[in-house]
Amino acid sequence: MNQDLIGKRYPPVPFPVTAERVRAFAEAIGDSDEHVPPTFATVPEIASLDQIIGDPDLNLDYSRVVHGEQEFEWNRPLALGDELMAECTIASIRARGSLEWLVVETELRDAAGELVVRTIDTLIVRGGDSG
Amino acid sequence: MTTRFEDVAVGDEIPGLSKVVTREDVKRYADASGDQNPLHQDDGFARSVGFPGIIAHGMFTMAHLTSCVTAWLGDPGSLKRMRVQFRSVVLVGDTMVAGGRVKALDPSTRRAVLDVWVAVERGGGTEFPIKRSEAEVQLA
Repeated sequence: MNQDLIGKRYPPVPFPVTAERVRAFAEAIGDSDEHVPPTFATVPEIASLDQIIGDPDLNLDYSRVVHGEQEFEWNRPLALGDELMAECTIASIRARGSLEWLVVETELRDAAGELVVRTIDTLIVRGGDSG
Repeated sequence: MTTRFEDVAVGDEIPGLSKVVTREDVKRYADASGDQNPLHQDDGFARSVGFPGIIAHGMFTMAHLTSCVTAWLGDPGSLKRMRVQFRSVVLVGDTMVAGGRVKALDPSTRRAVLDVWVAVERGGGTEFPIKRSEAEVQLA
């Protein structure tokens, strides 16, 4: 991966928290949809992360990616009707042997601009040099 | 009812939560989350990169762990922070067992920090798809 992109901040992606998306997610994880499941925060995160995955300057082969670590900080629970903006930043890129690590921080802010959830996602790229 | 600070002691284990992972679960999670990595969809691809078949999303496993913690808490809004390390894969047919143990209590904030994990039994041994991980929760 291209280490020049460390610190790159991507444009915020709008993400409305709709009943349909929450119901589909709650059903998929076997949770009740009476609340928004805490890890639903990964859905807007992924919507924003798609910009990084598809960034031609980064040179990331997503089919070689496995998930290494994940952190969420919830300032409040997500709620139906939240109009979120998801903004991701490349926090670090490093390599050791045939493995590479990509750490992405994402902020989910509500319509008032308040930080609702912060996520830190560590992706591991397996054997990225050989393929 | 949210779990009360006074009812919790360091070392307490929270009730475990089991779930058998099916192929349909993995497909449904891919669609619901938007994560379409072929590792979770295509057995041939998964084998070509060294796995026995498709693997469940790490986030599917984390969601199950979150359900375990919030079931104990009684209020999903009481979960303030969770950090997990994915250390082993979850395969179709595995039974995931999520669990946790109270590691620290802070009377000034009425918060607890839990060690949390997800275990699977495989090949006569126990593997930990999630371990060395923690959750911070607000108690009532």
